[in-house]
Amino acid sequence: MSERKMSAMADAALTPLVQVHGVSKTFRQRGRSVHALQAIDLEIRRGEFVSLLGPSGCGKSTLLRIIGGLHAASTGTVSVNGLDANSARAAKQYGLVPQSSALVPWRTVAQNVRFLTSLHRRGASHPVMSDAEIDGLLEAVGLAGFTGAYPHELSGGMQQRASLVRAFALGAPILLMDEPFAALDEITRADMRYLLLDLWSRIGTTVVFVTHSVTEAAILSDRVVVMAARPGRIAAQRQIELPRPRTPAMEDEAQFHDVVRVLRSDLREHHG
Amino acid sequence: MSIGMGSSLGMSDRARSRGPSASPAADVSAADAYAADTQKPSANLRRALLLAAPIVGVIAFFLIWQFGVKLFDIQRFVLPRPSDILSSINGDKSYYLRNARTTLWEAFLGFSIAFVLAMIGATIMAHSRFIERASMPLVVLVQVTPIIAYAPAIVIWQGFGLQSILVMTSLVCFVPFLINGVAGMRSVDPNLIELARSVDASRREVFVRLRLPSALANLFSAARIAVGLALIGAVLGEFFAGSTSGLGYSIKLAQARPNLRMQLWGSIYVLACIGATATILISTVERFALHWHSSQRR
Repeated sequence: MSERKMSAMADAALTPLVQVHGVSKTFRQRGRSVHALQAIDLEIRRGEFVSLLGPSGCGKSTLLRIIGGLHAASTGTVSVNGLDANSARAAKQYGLVPQSSALVPWRTVAQNVRFLTSLHRRGASHPVMSDAEIDGLLEAVGLAGFTGAYPHELSGGMQQRASLVRAFALGAPILLMDEPFAALDEITRADMRYLLLDLWSRIGTTVVFVTHSVTEAAILSDRVVVMAARPGRIAAQRQIELPRPRTPAMEDEAQFHDVVRVLRSDLREHHG
Repeated sequence: MSIGMGSSLGMSDRARSRGPSASPAADVSAADAYAADTQKPSANLRRALLLAAPIVGVIAFFLIWQFGVKLFDIQRFVLPRPSDILSSINGDKSYYLRNARTTLWEAFLGFSIAFVLAMIGATIMAHSRFIERASMPLVVLVQVTPIIAYAPAIVIWQGFGLQSILVMTSLVCFVPFLINGVAGMRSVDPNLIELARSVDASRREVFVRLRLPSALANLFSAARIAVGLALIGAVLGEFFAGSTSGLGYSIKLAQARPNLRMQLWGSIYVLACIGATATILISTVERFALHWHSSQRR
């Protein structure tokens, strides 16, 4: 391999996958302009698991959608793999996991997890997962026996697992998750976190995870971006030094409680 | 996490959910399940009664009619007994068959034309809010103006014959198909639309793979309404457009001649029978096509 090529590869590994510079978002509501986001600077490395943590109304979902090219920023720039957000979307760089599972009700689980991969792939920068790989994911999340089931026949937790597999199946470099477990009961939620970590460690994509749960952010993330509201802004960023793989037992350890305490105080400090 | 973690999760969820293998019969509400536990035979009886209720209702209605006519001594030409009507139909089968075929054909054609035109209209309206808003007043006007009022105008415009009848029939069926089609195409879960957008799906893909299938439930409701309207349109058309066959023509003829009173009631019975059969057919197809839809679960 040539030296030049090697240094180019090293550059690619070093430059952040996602670069957000000076992004703000203003929209008008009943004649008044509302600052949903103000002066956001954020960099996300390849393979990193980053959570956006904050109270409702802090613009974390809006920021996620601006990164994903689903909303336009009022000012500032977003660069993903050297592309602007919209071009990155056209190049199929994203996999989205919405808050509700949003499965196609007239399709089976097997068809649902392939629904997005079956849409046109012109301009895609990478191939989707193979059928066998997708089946492997279904197996890993415990849905192997339910491939012929329709969404209404599944529990909320199972629907959300299908939704996770659907996003991972795209083989996209960045997964955008918008409070995917918020609608689940606490017990199912706790299980889902480790399931997600399992999938993430197998596939090694970059994850941007929106949540309002401090413990969720702490146990999942490499880094937590704490956001504050009115105007929506980044209040603090915390590297989470807990070792991987993360386990349920860790949630009882002092180190985890320290992380949670720090995040809580960050949230409190910038609240109200 | 290990694979074992995932499969153990699978177990806990399976216990919580109904599971894909659960039959509709097992899908009873909590109250029913409780009743089934405590008093099994009467619960089964109650369910059987509920299943038979529609048939019981129809039979009761005709029995009351049958014996009411006798009891209150209603004259035969004012209101004949159901048994007399049925035997008169039976005695002149070929006549009713011939006329039923004419009316059924008119109703079917009008229904189909309305469906095709409404789907084209709904597709355009689902793509453009402006066109939807611009055409809604006209659609409402068509809907609220009684078809019987402009039926003569249609005959003057289109002349006597099938063409006028089809215009009337498709006009009355058009509006329910159009309104339900647009509503259905717009009823897609917005999260699904956003999901499709996140992978840059084309507008056409969103339409074909999400909007059209979503509209199916609404279109079936529209079809059930349109069956009755199509028969109204066909009968009305025969009244006005100088027909020489069809059940509407038969009714019009009988109205003027006391000796044909049985034919009046026979035609009404055959029309009711056509409408009921078509409705049952549509509901059956709907049950299979929409097995995934919440409207089909009880």
